[in-house]
Amino acid sequence: MSFIEVSNISKTYKISKRKSGVPGMLANLFVPKYENKEAVKNVSFSIEKGEMVGFVGPNGAGKSTTIKMLSGILYPDTGEINVSGLIPYKQRKEYVSRIGVVFGQKSQLQWDLPVIDSFELLKAIYSIPDDVYKKNLDRYMEMLDMDKFIKQPVRQLSLGQRMRADIAAALLHSPEIVFFDEPTIGVDVVGKDAIRNFIKDLNAEDGVTMIFTTHDMQDIEKTCNRLVIISEGSKIYDGTLDGVRKLHGSSRQLDVYFMNDSEVAEIPDVEIVEVDKRHSQFIFDGKKVHINDLMSHLLGTYNVKDINISEPDIESIIRKIYSREKVAG
Amino acid sequence: MRLSAYYAYAKKQFLSRSAYRFDHLMGILSTCLQFFIFYEIYRTLYGSKESVDGITMSMITTNFVLSLGLSAIFSPNDYFVPGRIWDGSISTELLRPMSFKGRMIAENVGDACFNLIFKFIPVLLIAIFTTGMEKPAGIGNMILFLISAILGYGVLWTISFLVQMTAFWLINIWSLITIKDVFVNVLSGMMIPLWFMPDWMAGVIKFTPFASIYFTPVQIYLGQLSISEIVFKCGVQLFWTVIIYALGNVLWNKGQKKLVVQGG
Ligand SMILES: Nc1ncnc2c1ncn2[C@@H]1O[C@H](COP(=O)(O)OP(=O)(O)OP(=O)(O)O)[C@@H](O)[C@H]1O
Ligand SMILES: [Mg+2]
Repeated sequence: MSFIEVSNISKTYKISKRKSGVPGMLANLFVPKYENKEAVKNVSFSIEKGEMVGFVGPNGAGKSTTIKMLSGILYPDTGEINVSGLIPYKQRKEYVSRIGVVFGQKSQLQWDLPVIDSFELLKAIYSIPDDVYKKNLDRYMEMLDMDKFIKQPVRQLSLGQRMRADIAAALLHSPEIVFFDEPTIGVDVVGKDAIRNFIKDLNAEDGVTMIFTTHDMQDIEKTCNRLVIISEGSKIYDGTLDGVRKLHGSSRQLDVYFMNDSEVAEIPDVEIVEVDKRHSQFIFDGKKVHINDLMSHLLGTYNVKDINISEPDIESIIRKIYSREKVAG
Repeated sequence: MRLSAYYAYAKKQFLSRSAYRFDHLMGILSTCLQFFIFYEIYRTLYGSKESVDGITMSMITTNFVLSLGLSAIFSPNDYFVPGRIWDGSISTELLRPMSFKGRMIAENVGDACFNLIFKFIPVLLIAIFTTGMEKPAGIGNMILFLISAILGYGVLWTISFLVQMTAFWLINIWSLITIKDVFVNVLSGMMIPLWFMPDWMAGVIKFTPFASIYFTPVQIYLGQLSISEIVFKCGVQLFWTVIIYALGNVLWNKGQKKLVVQGG
Protein backbone atom coordinates (compact mmCIF):
# COMPACT_ATOMS: atom_id res chain seq x y z
CA MET A 1 0.00 0.00 0.00
CA SER A 2 1.41 3.35 -1.02
CA PHE A 3 1.64 6.45 1.09
CA ILE A 4 -1.12 8.15 -0.86
CA GLU A 5 -3.70 5.87 -2.48
CA VAL A 6 -6.36 7.34 -4.68
CA SER A 7 -8.80 4.92 -6.18
CA ASN A 8 -11.43 5.78 -8.73
CA ILE A 9 -12.44 9.16 -7.40
CA SER A 10 -15.11 11.14 -9.20
CA LYS A 11 -16.66 14.50 -8.49
CA THR A 12 -19.62 16.04 -10.21
CA TYR A 13 -20.64 19.64 -9.70
CA LYS A 14 -24.22 20.68 -10.00
CA ILE A 15 -24.43 23.92 -11.88
CA SER A 16 -27.71 25.77 -11.85
CA LYS A 17 -28.55 26.86 -15.35
CA ARG A 18 -29.53 30.47 -15.17
CA LYS A 19 -31.72 31.96 -17.77
CA SER A 20 -31.34 35.65 -18.16
CA GLY A 21 -33.96 38.33 -17.76
CA VAL A 22 -36.86 38.60 -15.34
CA PRO A 23 -38.95 35.74 -16.80
CA GLY A 24 -35.87 33.56 -16.69
CA MET A 25 -35.28 34.49 -13.09
CA LEU A 26 -38.84 33.58 -12.16
CA ALA A 27 -38.60 30.32 -14.04
CA ASN A 28 -35.42 29.61 -12.13
CA LEU A 29 -37.04 30.29 -8.81
CA PHE A 30 -39.85 27.81 -9.36
CA VAL A 31 -38.29 25.21 -11.64
CA PRO A 32 -34.59 25.32 -11.02
CA LYS A 33 -32.67 23.59 -13.77
CA TYR A 34 -29.37 21.95 -13.08
CA GLU A 35 -26.63 20.76 -15.28
CA ASN A 36 -24.12 18.23 -14.08
CA LYS A 37 -20.48 18.93 -14.65
CA GLU A 38 -18.23 15.93 -14.23
CA ALA A 39 -15.09 17.64 -13.01
CA VAL A 40 -13.16 14.49 -12.10
CA LYS A 41 -13.88 11.08 -13.61
CA ASN A 42 -12.59 7.87 -12.13
CA VAL A 43 -9.09 9.05 -11.36
CA SER A 44 -6.68 6.69 -9.61
CA PHE A 45 -3.03 6.99 -8.71
CA SER A 46 -0.66 6.23 -5.90
CA ILE A 47 2.20 8.27 -4.60
CA GLU A 48 5.09 7.12 -2.44
CA LYS A 49 6.52 8.99 0.50
CA GLY A 50 8.97 11.65 -0.57
CA GLU A 51 7.80 11.81 -4.16
CA MET A 52 7.31 15.02 -6.02
CA VAL A 53 4.52 14.89 -8.55
CA GLY A 54 3.40 17.52 -11.00
CA PHE A 55 -0.20 17.74 -12.20
CA VAL A 56 -0.82 19.47 -15.46
CA GLY A 57 -3.82 19.80 -17.70
CA PRO A 58 -5.74 22.44 -19.59
CA ASN A 59 -8.02 24.94 -17.82
CA GLY A 60 -10.97 23.23 -16.23
CA ALA A 61 -9.34 19.80 -16.40
CA GLY A 62 -10.09 19.03 -12.76
CA LYS A 63 -6.72 19.65 -11.15
CA SER A 64 -7.92 21.98 -8.42
CA THR A 65 -10.89 19.75 -7.72
CA THR A 66 -8.52 16.80 -7.27
CA ILE A 67 -6.30 18.82 -4.92
CA LYS A 68 -9.34 19.87 -2.90
CA MET A 69 -10.39 16.26 -2.47
CA LEU A 70 -6.85 15.23 -1.56
CA SER A 71 -6.66 17.91 1.08
CA GLY A 72 -9.94 16.88 2.67
CA ILE A 73 -12.03 19.91 1.77
CA LEU A 74 -14.27 18.18 -0.74
CA TYR A 75 -15.92 14.80 -0.47
CA PRO A 76 -15.48 12.69 -3.60
CA ASP A 77 -18.85 11.44 -4.92
CA THR A 78 -17.44 7.98 -5.44
CA GLY A 79 -14.08 6.33 -4.92
CA GLU A 80 -11.66 6.52 -2.04
CA ILE A 81 -8.62 8.37 -0.86
CA ASN A 82 -6.31 6.98 1.76
CA VAL A 83 -3.25 8.77 3.03
CA SER A 84 -1.16 6.64 5.39
CA GLY A 85 -4.29 5.16 6.92
CA LEU A 86 -6.29 8.37 7.13
CA ILE A 87 -9.28 9.33 5.04
CA PRO A 88 -8.84 13.07 4.43
CA TYR A 89 -12.46 14.19 4.28
CA LYS A 90 -13.54 11.96 7.16
CA GLN A 91 -10.68 12.37 9.62
CA ARG A 92 -10.24 15.99 8.70
CA LYS A 93 -8.88 17.47 11.91
CA GLU A 94 -6.25 14.80 12.40
CA TYR A 95 -5.33 14.79 8.73
CA VAL A 96 -4.93 18.50 8.13
CA SER A 97 -2.39 18.90 10.93
CA ARG A 98 -0.08 16.72 8.84
CA ILE A 99 -0.47 18.49 5.53
CA GLY A 100 0.16 21.92 4.11
CA VAL A 101 -1.82 23.44 1.26
CA VAL A 102 -1.09 26.45 -0.90
CA PHE A 103 -3.75 27.79 -3.23
CA GLY A 104 -1.96 30.18 -5.52
CA GLN A 105 -5.13 32.06 -6.30
CA LYS A 106 -6.34 32.39 -2.77
CA SER A 107 -4.39 33.67 0.19
CA GLN A 108 -4.83 31.88 3.46
CA LEU A 109 -3.24 34.67 5.43
CA GLN A 110 -5.12 37.21 7.50
CA TRP A 111 -5.77 40.09 5.15
CA ASP A 112 -5.49 42.82 7.75
CA LEU A 113 -2.58 41.56 9.79
CA PRO A 114 1.15 41.83 9.20
CA VAL A 115 2.55 38.61 7.76
CA ILE A 116 4.41 37.83 10.95
CA ASP A 117 1.18 38.05 12.98
CA SER A 118 -0.45 35.54 10.65
CA PHE A 119 2.50 33.27 11.26
CA GLU A 120 2.14 33.68 15.02
CA LEU A 121 -1.52 32.78 14.71
CA LEU A 122 -0.59 29.64 12.79
CA LYS A 123 1.92 28.78 15.48
CA ALA A 124 -0.90 28.76 18.01
CA ILE A 125 -3.31 26.92 15.72
CA TYR A 126 -0.89 24.11 14.98
CA SER A 127 0.72 24.17 18.45
CA ILE A 128 4.11 24.46 16.82
CA PRO A 129 6.84 24.14 19.47
CA ASP A 130 8.93 27.30 19.89
CA ASP A 131 12.15 25.78 18.62
CA VAL A 132 10.56 24.26 15.51
CA TYR A 133 8.77 27.50 14.76
CA LYS A 134 11.91 29.53 15.08
CA LYS A 135 13.98 27.12 13.03
CA ASN A 136 11.43 26.99 10.23
CA LEU A 137 10.78 30.70 10.24
CA ASP A 138 14.46 31.58 10.02
CA ARG A 139 15.00 29.09 7.27
CA TYR A 140 12.02 30.19 5.18
CA MET A 141 12.77 33.85 5.74
CA GLU A 142 16.12 33.33 4.17
CA MET A 143 15.15 30.96 1.41
CA LEU A 144 12.18 32.98 0.32
CA ASP A 145 13.73 36.33 1.03
CA MET A 146 10.89 37.57 3.17
CA ASP A 147 12.50 39.97 5.62
CA LYS A 148 11.61 42.99 3.53
CA PHE A 149 7.88 42.54 3.85
CA ILE A 150 7.33 40.38 6.91
CA LYS A 151 5.95 43.29 8.95
CA GLN A 152 3.61 44.57 6.24
CA PRO A 153 -0.09 43.74 6.27
CA VAL A 154 -0.93 41.11 3.68
CA ARG A 155 -3.22 43.44 1.75
CA GLN A 156 -0.22 45.64 0.96
CA LEU A 157 1.94 42.89 -0.52
CA SER A 158 2.65 42.36 -4.18
CA LEU A 159 1.41 39.12 -5.69
CA GLY A 160 4.83 37.50 -5.66
CA GLN A 161 5.49 38.53 -2.06
CA ARG A 162 2.10 37.28 -0.98
CA MET A 163 2.75 33.97 -2.67
CA ARG A 164 6.02 33.53 -0.87
CA ALA A 165 4.39 34.40 2.45
CA ASP A 166 1.60 31.93 1.71
CA ILE A 167 4.06 29.17 0.92
CA ALA A 168 5.99 29.77 4.13
CA ALA A 169 2.71 29.83 6.07
CA ALA A 170 1.69 26.45 4.71
CA LEU A 171 4.99 24.94 5.79
CA LEU A 172 5.54 26.41 9.25
CA HIS A 173 4.26 23.31 11.00
CA SER A 174 6.63 20.99 9.07
CA PRO A 175 3.91 19.05 7.23
CA GLU A 176 4.67 15.63 5.77
CA ILE A 177 2.72 16.34 2.60
CA VAL A 178 2.29 19.61 0.78
CA PHE A 179 -0.22 20.36 -1.96
CA PHE A 180 0.45 23.33 -4.18
CA ASP A 181 -2.23 24.55 -6.55
CA GLU A 182 -0.48 26.86 -8.98
CA PRO A 183 2.19 28.19 -6.63
CA THR A 184 3.90 30.21 -9.34
CA ILE A 185 0.90 31.90 -10.89
CA GLY A 186 1.59 35.54 -11.57
CA VAL A 187 5.12 35.41 -10.18
CA ASP A 188 8.04 36.89 -12.15
CA VAL A 189 10.95 34.84 -13.44
CA VAL A 190 13.20 35.46 -10.44
CA GLY A 191 10.38 34.76 -8.03
CA LYS A 192 9.49 31.57 -9.85
CA ASP A 193 13.05 30.41 -9.54
CA ALA A 194 13.11 31.12 -5.83
CA ILE A 195 9.89 29.18 -5.35
CA ARG A 196 11.07 26.24 -7.44
CA ASN A 197 14.37 26.02 -5.60
CA PHE A 198 12.58 26.24 -2.30
CA ILE A 199 10.21 23.42 -3.23
CA LYS A 200 13.08 21.31 -4.51
CA ASP A 201 15.20 21.81 -1.41
CA LEU A 202 12.40 20.95 0.91
CA ASN A 203 11.68 17.78 -0.98
CA ALA A 204 15.31 16.75 -1.15
CA GLU A 205 16.33 17.65 2.41
CA ASP A 206 13.24 16.93 4.45
CA GLY A 207 11.68 14.27 2.24
CA VAL A 208 8.39 16.16 2.15
CA THR A 209 5.94 14.56 -0.27
CA MET A 210 4.72 17.13 -2.74
CA ILE A 211 2.01 17.41 -5.29
CA PHE A 212 1.58 20.46 -7.36
CA THR A 213 -0.38 21.79 -10.26
CA THR A 214 0.87 24.35 -12.69
CA HIS A 215 0.50 25.67 -16.19
CA ASP A 216 4.18 26.42 -16.45
CA MET A 217 6.01 23.40 -17.84
CA GLN A 218 9.29 24.81 -16.60
CA ASP A 219 8.00 24.34 -13.06
CA ILE A 220 7.68 20.68 -13.85
CA GLU A 221 10.96 20.39 -15.70
CA LYS A 222 12.89 22.01 -12.89
CA THR A 223 11.30 20.22 -9.98
CA CYS A 224 9.42 17.00 -10.70
CA ASN A 225 10.40 13.72 -12.17
CA ARG A 226 6.88 12.41 -12.23
CA LEU A 227 4.14 13.96 -14.25
CA VAL A 228 0.41 13.34 -14.24
CA ILE A 229 -1.62 14.79 -17.06
CA ILE A 230 -5.31 15.33 -16.55
CA SER A 231 -7.69 16.30 -19.27
CA GLU A 232 -11.44 16.73 -19.01
CA GLY A 233 -11.47 15.03 -15.64
CA SER A 234 -9.57 11.90 -16.66
CA LYS A 235 -5.98 10.94 -16.15
CA ILE A 236 -4.33 10.56 -19.54
CA TYR A 237 -0.70 10.20 -18.59
CA ASP A 238 1.18 9.19 -15.48
CA GLY A 239 4.90 8.64 -15.65
CA THR A 240 8.26 10.28 -15.90
CA LEU A 241 8.96 13.48 -17.72
CA ASP A 242 11.37 11.62 -19.98
CA GLY A 243 8.61 9.16 -20.74
CA VAL A 244 6.58 11.94 -22.29
CA ARG A 245 9.53 12.91 -24.43
CA LYS A 246 10.09 9.33 -25.50
CA LEU A 247 6.48 9.03 -26.58
CA HIS A 248 7.57 11.41 -29.25
CA GLY A 249 10.94 9.77 -29.76
CA SER A 250 12.18 10.52 -33.24
CA SER A 251 9.95 13.49 -33.66
CA ARG A 252 11.08 16.84 -34.90
CA GLN A 253 9.51 20.18 -34.57
CA LEU A 254 9.42 22.84 -37.17
CA ASP A 255 8.46 26.28 -35.99
CA VAL A 256 7.27 28.36 -38.90
CA TYR A 257 6.63 32.10 -38.73
CA PHE A 258 4.52 33.61 -41.46
CA MET A 259 4.68 37.05 -42.99
CA ASN A 260 0.92 37.46 -42.71
CA ASP A 261 -1.99 35.71 -41.00
CA SER A 262 -2.18 32.24 -42.47
CA GLU A 263 -4.66 29.42 -42.33
CA VAL A 264 -2.63 26.22 -42.38
CA ALA A 265 -4.11 23.25 -44.24
CA GLU A 266 -3.62 19.68 -43.06
CA ILE A 267 -0.58 17.72 -44.13
CA PRO A 268 -0.51 13.91 -43.93
CA ASP A 269 1.49 12.49 -40.97
CA VAL A 270 2.21 15.94 -39.59
CA GLU A 271 0.73 17.24 -36.38
CA ILE A 272 0.03 20.95 -36.67
CA VAL A 273 -0.26 23.19 -33.65
CA GLU A 274 -1.31 26.72 -34.33
CA VAL A 275 0.40 28.91 -31.74
CA ASP A 276 -1.06 32.02 -33.25
CA LYS A 277 -2.10 33.22 -36.67
CA ARG A 278 1.47 33.86 -37.69
CA HIS A 279 3.19 31.01 -35.94
CA SER A 280 2.51 27.30 -36.33
CA GLN A 281 4.40 24.26 -35.15
CA PHE A 282 4.71 21.21 -37.34
CA ILE A 283 5.57 18.11 -35.38
CA PHE A 284 6.41 15.00 -37.33
CA ASP A 285 8.30 11.75 -37.22
CA GLY A 286 11.60 12.15 -39.02
CA LYS A 287 11.39 8.58 -40.27
CA LYS A 288 8.04 9.06 -41.96
CA VAL A 289 8.19 12.54 -43.31
CA HIS A 290 11.13 13.95 -45.18
CA ILE A 291 12.13 17.31 -43.93
CA ASN A 292 13.05 18.46 -47.43
CA ASP A 293 9.61 17.64 -48.75
CA LEU A 294 7.92 19.38 -45.89
CA MET A 295 10.10 22.49 -46.17
CA SER A 296 9.60 22.87 -49.87
CA HIS A 297 5.86 22.34 -49.48
CA LEU A 298 5.68 25.04 -46.82
CA LEU A 299 7.91 27.50 -48.64
CA GLY A 300 5.94 26.94 -51.81
CA THR A 301 2.52 27.33 -50.24
CA TYR A 302 2.94 30.07 -47.67
CA ASN A 303 4.66 33.35 -47.30
CA VAL A 304 7.29 32.29 -44.77
CA LYS A 305 9.32 34.72 -42.71
CA ASP A 306 11.37 32.39 -40.56
CA ILE A 307 11.81 28.69 -39.85
CA ASN A 308 13.33 26.94 -36.88
CA ILE A 309 13.94 23.21 -36.44
CA SER A 310 14.23 21.61 -33.03
CA GLU A 311 13.32 18.62 -30.97
CA PRO A 312 9.92 19.37 -29.55
CA ASP A 313 10.19 20.94 -26.11
CA ILE A 314 8.03 19.63 -23.35
CA GLU A 315 5.69 22.58 -23.66
CA SER A 316 4.72 21.76 -27.20
CA ILE A 317 4.47 18.07 -26.51
CA ILE A 318 2.01 18.83 -23.80
CA ARG A 319 0.20 21.27 -26.03
CA LYS A 320 -0.04 18.58 -28.62
CA ILE A 321 -1.38 16.10 -26.11
CA TYR A 322 -4.01 18.61 -24.97
CA SER A 323 -5.14 19.47 -28.46
CA ARG A 324 -5.38 15.83 -29.45
CA GLU A 325 -7.50 15.17 -26.37
CA LYS A 326 -9.81 17.94 -27.35
CA VAL A 327 -10.27 16.49 -30.80
CA ALA A 328 -10.78 13.00 -29.40
CA GLY A 329 -13.12 14.19 -26.63
CA MET B 1 -8.62 20.25 22.34
CA ARG B 2 -5.96 22.87 21.95
CA LEU B 3 -7.39 25.85 23.73
CA SER B 4 -4.49 28.08 22.85
CA ALA B 5 -5.57 28.00 19.21
CA TYR B 6 -9.07 29.19 20.06
CA TYR B 7 -7.70 31.80 22.39
CA ALA B 8 -5.43 33.01 19.59
CA TYR B 9 -8.43 33.48 17.29
CA ALA B 10 -10.37 35.37 19.97
CA LYS B 11 -7.39 37.62 20.56
CA LYS B 12 -6.83 38.17 16.86
CA GLN B 13 -10.42 39.22 16.43
CA PHE B 14 -10.24 41.55 19.40
CA LEU B 15 -7.11 43.20 18.05
CA SER B 16 -8.30 43.51 14.49
CA ARG B 17 -11.50 45.13 15.72
CA SER B 18 -9.41 47.69 17.57
CA ALA B 19 -7.83 48.67 14.29
CA TYR B 20 -11.04 50.28 13.06
CA ARG B 21 -11.59 53.08 15.53
CA PHE B 22 -14.03 55.02 13.42
CA ASP B 23 -16.19 51.97 13.02
CA HIS B 24 -16.46 51.41 16.73
CA LEU B 25 -17.20 55.06 17.41
CA MET B 26 -20.08 54.74 14.97
CA GLY B 27 -21.15 51.56 16.74
CA ILE B 28 -21.43 53.40 20.05
CA LEU B 29 -23.28 56.21 18.36
CA SER B 30 -25.82 53.95 16.71
CA THR B 31 -26.51 52.05 19.94
CA CYS B 32 -26.95 55.36 21.79
CA LEU B 33 -29.19 56.67 19.06
CA GLN B 34 -31.44 53.62 19.17
CA PHE B 35 -31.59 53.88 22.92
CA PHE B 36 -32.56 57.55 22.96
CA ILE B 37 -35.15 57.12 20.24
CA PHE B 38 -36.86 54.31 22.14
CA TYR B 39 -36.51 56.28 25.35
CA GLU B 40 -38.18 59.37 23.88
CA ILE B 41 -41.00 57.37 22.33
CA TYR B 42 -41.89 55.71 25.61
CA ARG B 43 -41.50 58.92 27.60
CA THR B 44 -44.01 60.56 25.31
CA LEU B 45 -46.35 57.62 25.61
CA TYR B 46 -46.08 57.68 29.38
CA GLY B 47 -46.65 61.44 29.59
CA SER B 48 -47.19 62.20 33.22
CA LYS B 49 -48.23 58.69 34.22
CA GLU B 50 -46.21 57.07 36.97
CA SER B 51 -46.63 53.54 35.67
CA VAL B 52 -48.60 51.52 33.15
CA ASP B 53 -49.74 48.04 34.15
CA GLY B 54 -47.27 48.24 37.05
CA ILE B 55 -44.36 48.97 34.72
CA THR B 56 -42.55 52.21 35.52
CA MET B 57 -40.69 54.37 33.02
CA SER B 58 -37.49 53.53 34.83
CA MET B 59 -38.09 49.82 34.25
CA ILE B 60 -38.62 50.53 30.56
CA THR B 61 -35.36 52.45 30.43
CA THR B 62 -33.59 49.57 32.13
CA ASN B 63 -35.07 47.12 29.64
CA PHE B 64 -33.73 49.15 26.75
CA VAL B 65 -30.30 49.73 28.22
CA LEU B 66 -29.86 46.06 28.99
CA SER B 67 -31.36 44.54 25.88
CA LEU B 68 -29.77 46.98 23.46
CA GLY B 69 -26.55 46.67 25.43
CA LEU B 70 -26.59 42.88 25.39
CA SER B 71 -27.44 42.89 21.71
CA ALA B 72 -24.49 45.19 21.07
CA ILE B 73 -22.25 42.77 22.94
CA PHE B 74 -23.54 39.57 21.39
CA SER B 75 -23.85 40.54 17.72
CA PRO B 76 -22.92 37.17 16.19
CA ASN B 77 -21.43 37.59 12.76
CA ASP B 78 -24.23 36.18 10.59
CA TYR B 79 -22.03 36.35 7.52
CA PHE B 80 -19.20 34.26 8.94
CA VAL B 81 -20.12 31.03 7.14
CA PRO B 82 -22.09 32.47 4.18
CA GLY B 83 -19.25 34.88 3.39
CA ARG B 84 -16.72 32.09 3.45
CA ILE B 85 -18.87 29.85 1.29
CA TRP B 86 -19.53 32.69 -1.08
CA ASP B 87 -15.87 33.50 -1.72
CA GLY B 88 -14.53 30.00 -1.20
CA SER B 89 -12.34 30.91 1.77
CA ILE B 90 -14.16 28.25 3.78
CA SER B 91 -11.48 25.96 2.39
CA THR B 92 -8.87 27.79 4.44
CA GLU B 93 -10.92 27.22 7.57
CA LEU B 94 -11.34 23.54 6.86
CA LEU B 95 -7.59 23.17 6.45
CA ARG B 96 -6.99 24.12 10.06
CA PRO B 97 -6.67 21.32 12.60
CA MET B 98 -9.39 22.67 14.82
CA SER B 99 -13.13 22.57 15.25
CA PHE B 100 -14.72 24.95 12.81
CA LYS B 101 -17.56 25.69 15.20
CA GLY B 102 -15.13 26.22 18.04
CA ARG B 103 -13.26 28.67 15.91
CA MET B 104 -16.50 30.44 15.01
CA ILE B 105 -17.34 30.83 18.67
CA ALA B 106 -13.79 31.89 19.54
CA GLU B 107 -13.90 34.70 17.04
CA ASN B 108 -17.30 35.80 18.24
CA VAL B 109 -16.11 35.77 21.85
CA GLY B 110 -13.26 38.05 20.79
CA ASP B 111 -15.85 40.32 19.24
CA ALA B 112 -18.06 40.15 22.32
CA CYS B 113 -15.20 41.13 24.64
CA PHE B 114 -14.44 44.06 22.41
CA ASN B 115 -18.08 45.12 22.32
CA LEU B 116 -18.43 44.71 26.08
CA ILE B 117 -15.57 47.07 26.77
CA PHE B 118 -15.91 49.54 23.95
CA LYS B 119 -19.66 49.56 23.30
CA PHE B 120 -21.65 48.29 26.24
CA ILE B 121 -19.79 50.09 29.00
CA PRO B 122 -19.80 53.51 27.28
CA VAL B 123 -23.50 53.19 26.48
CA LEU B 124 -24.25 52.02 30.01
CA LEU B 125 -22.41 55.00 31.49
CA ILE B 126 -24.12 57.43 29.14
CA ALA B 127 -27.51 56.00 30.09
CA ILE B 128 -26.80 56.09 33.82
CA PHE B 129 -25.76 59.72 33.70
CA THR B 130 -28.52 60.93 31.39
CA THR B 131 -31.72 58.97 31.82
CA GLY B 132 -30.83 56.88 34.84
CA MET B 133 -31.90 53.27 35.28
CA GLU B 134 -32.91 50.70 37.89
CA LYS B 135 -30.27 49.11 40.05
CA PRO B 136 -30.20 45.30 40.07
CA ALA B 137 -32.70 43.88 42.54
CA GLY B 138 -29.88 42.34 44.59
CA ILE B 139 -26.48 40.72 44.44
CA GLY B 140 -28.06 37.35 43.78
CA ASN B 141 -30.08 38.83 40.95
CA MET B 142 -26.98 40.39 39.48
CA ILE B 143 -25.17 37.05 39.42
CA LEU B 144 -28.19 35.21 38.01
CA PHE B 145 -28.57 38.01 35.46
CA LEU B 146 -25.03 37.36 34.24
CA ILE B 147 -25.64 33.62 34.00
CA SER B 148 -28.89 34.14 32.15
CA ALA B 149 -27.28 36.69 29.83
CA ILE B 150 -24.67 34.10 28.87
CA LEU B 151 -27.42 31.56 28.24
CA GLY B 152 -29.26 34.18 26.19
CA TYR B 153 -26.11 34.57 24.16
CA GLY B 154 -26.18 30.83 23.63
CA VAL B 155 -29.70 31.05 22.22
CA LEU B 156 -28.85 33.95 19.94
CA TRP B 157 -25.62 32.36 18.73
CA THR B 158 -27.27 29.05 17.92
CA ILE B 159 -30.06 30.81 15.99
CA SER B 160 -27.41 32.56 13.94
CA PHE B 161 -25.53 29.27 13.54
CA LEU B 162 -28.66 27.51 12.29
CA VAL B 163 -29.45 30.25 9.79
CA GLN B 164 -25.86 30.35 8.57
CA MET B 165 -25.81 26.61 7.93
CA THR B 166 -28.45 27.02 5.22
CA ALA B 167 -25.79 28.78 3.16
CA PHE B 168 -24.40 25.39 2.17
CA TRP B 169 -27.50 24.99 0.02
CA LEU B 170 -28.64 28.50 -0.66
CA ILE B 171 -25.22 30.21 -1.01
CA ASN B 172 -26.81 33.66 -0.73
CA ILE B 173 -28.82 33.96 2.47
CA TRP B 174 -28.96 37.70 2.88
CA SER B 175 -32.75 37.81 2.96
CA LEU B 176 -32.97 34.93 5.39
CA ILE B 177 -30.67 36.78 7.76
CA THR B 178 -32.82 39.89 7.48
CA ILE B 179 -35.92 37.90 8.36
CA LYS B 180 -34.15 36.35 11.30
CA ASP B 181 -33.14 39.81 12.52
CA VAL B 182 -36.72 41.02 12.37
CA PHE B 183 -37.86 38.05 14.43
CA VAL B 184 -35.09 38.51 16.95
CA ASN B 185 -35.55 42.25 17.29
CA VAL B 186 -39.33 42.23 17.60
CA LEU B 187 -40.01 39.03 19.48
CA SER B 188 -37.17 39.40 21.95
CA GLY B 189 -38.66 42.51 23.49
CA MET B 190 -35.84 44.69 22.32
CA MET B 191 -38.16 47.13 20.56
CA ILE B 192 -41.43 46.61 22.38
CA PRO B 193 -40.93 45.28 25.88
CA LEU B 194 -42.81 42.01 26.17
CA TRP B 195 -44.81 43.44 29.10
CA PHE B 196 -46.84 45.42 26.59
CA MET B 197 -47.58 42.67 24.14
CA PRO B 198 -51.23 41.62 24.08
CA ASP B 199 -51.76 38.62 26.34
CA TRP B 200 -52.35 36.14 23.55
CA MET B 201 -49.21 37.27 21.77
CA ALA B 202 -47.08 37.24 24.88
CA GLY B 203 -48.45 33.74 25.48
CA VAL B 204 -47.18 32.64 22.09
CA ILE B 205 -43.87 34.48 22.23
CA LYS B 206 -43.18 32.91 25.60
CA PHE B 207 -42.74 29.60 23.83
CA THR B 208 -40.34 30.90 21.17
CA PRO B 209 -36.59 31.00 21.71
CA PHE B 210 -36.57 34.74 21.04
CA ALA B 211 -38.16 35.76 24.33
CA SER B 212 -35.42 34.11 26.30
CA ILE B 213 -32.54 36.01 24.71
CA TYR B 214 -32.75 39.41 26.40
CA PHE B 215 -36.04 39.47 28.24
CA THR B 216 -35.26 36.68 30.70
CA PRO B 217 -32.03 38.35 31.90
CA VAL B 218 -33.85 41.70 32.15
CA GLN B 219 -36.64 40.21 34.25
CA ILE B 220 -34.09 38.57 36.52
CA TYR B 221 -32.19 41.84 36.88
CA LEU B 222 -35.35 43.68 37.84
CA GLY B 223 -36.32 40.99 40.33
CA GLN B 224 -39.58 40.19 38.60
CA LEU B 225 -39.17 36.45 38.84
CA SER B 226 -39.28 34.08 41.80
CA ILE B 227 -36.46 31.58 42.23
CA SER B 228 -38.49 28.76 40.73
CA GLU B 229 -39.41 30.95 37.77
CA ILE B 230 -35.74 31.83 37.29
CA VAL B 231 -34.74 28.19 37.30
CA PHE B 232 -37.51 27.40 34.81
CA LYS B 233 -36.69 30.27 32.48
CA CYS B 234 -32.97 29.54 32.49
CA GLY B 235 -33.89 25.94 31.77
CA VAL B 236 -35.86 27.19 28.77
CA GLN B 237 -32.79 29.10 27.56
CA LEU B 238 -30.67 26.00 27.91
CA PHE B 239 -33.33 23.89 26.19
CA TRP B 240 -33.41 26.19 23.16
CA THR B 241 -29.64 26.42 22.96
CA VAL B 242 -29.31 22.65 22.88
CA ILE B 243 -32.21 22.05 20.44
CA ILE B 244 -31.21 24.74 17.94
CA TYR B 245 -27.57 23.77 18.13
CA ALA B 246 -28.48 20.15 17.42
CA LEU B 247 -30.53 21.19 14.40
CA GLY B 248 -27.73 23.40 13.13
CA ASN B 249 -25.30 20.57 13.64
CA VAL B 250 -27.34 18.22 11.46
CA LEU B 251 -27.17 20.80 8.69
CA TRP B 252 -23.46 21.33 9.31
CA ASN B 253 -22.70 17.63 8.92
CA LYS B 254 -24.80 17.37 5.78
CA GLY B 255 -23.50 20.64 4.42
CA GLN B 256 -19.86 19.64 4.66
CA LYS B 257 -20.57 16.66 2.45
CA LYS B 258 -22.15 18.74 -0.22
CA LEU B 259 -19.87 21.70 0.16
CA VAL B 260 -18.75 23.09 -3.13
CA VAL B 261 -15.71 25.27 -2.80
CA GLN B 262 -16.03 28.26 -5.05
CA GLY B 263 -13.11 29.41 -7.14
CA GLY B 264 -10.31 27.35 -8.39
N1 LIG C 1 -17.65 25.50 -7.51
C1 LIG C 1 -17.91 24.98 -8.70
N2 LIG C 1 -19.17 24.86 -9.14
C2 LIG C 1 -19.43 24.32 -10.33
N3 LIG C 1 -18.50 23.88 -11.19
C3 LIG C 1 -17.22 23.96 -10.83
C4 LIG C 1 -16.85 24.53 -9.57
N4 LIG C 1 -15.50 24.50 -9.47
C5 LIG C 1 -15.06 23.95 -10.62
N5 LIG C 1 -16.08 23.63 -11.44
C6 LIG C 1 -15.97 23.01 -12.79
O1 LIG C 1 -15.25 21.81 -12.68
C7 LIG C 1 -14.30 21.67 -13.71
C8 LIG C 1 -12.91 21.45 -13.13
O2 LIG C 1 -12.50 22.60 -12.44
P1 LIG C 1 -11.11 22.73 -11.72
O3 LIG C 1 -11.12 24.00 -10.96
O4 LIG C 1 -10.83 21.49 -10.96
O5 LIG C 1 -10.12 22.84 -12.97
P2 LIG C 1 -8.55 23.07 -13.01
O6 LIG C 1 -7.96 21.88 -13.65
O7 LIG C 1 -8.04 23.45 -11.69
O8 LIG C 1 -8.46 24.28 -14.02
P3 LIG C 1 -7.47 25.55 -14.02
O9 LIG C 1 -6.24 25.10 -14.68
O10 LIG C 1 -8.20 26.52 -14.88
O11 LIG C 1 -7.28 25.99 -12.62
C9 LIG C 1 -14.42 22.93 -14.55
O12 LIG C 1 -15.15 22.61 -15.70
C10 LIG C 1 -15.18 23.89 -13.71
O13 LIG C 1 -16.04 24.68 -14.50
MG1 LIG D 1 -7.23 25.20 -10.87
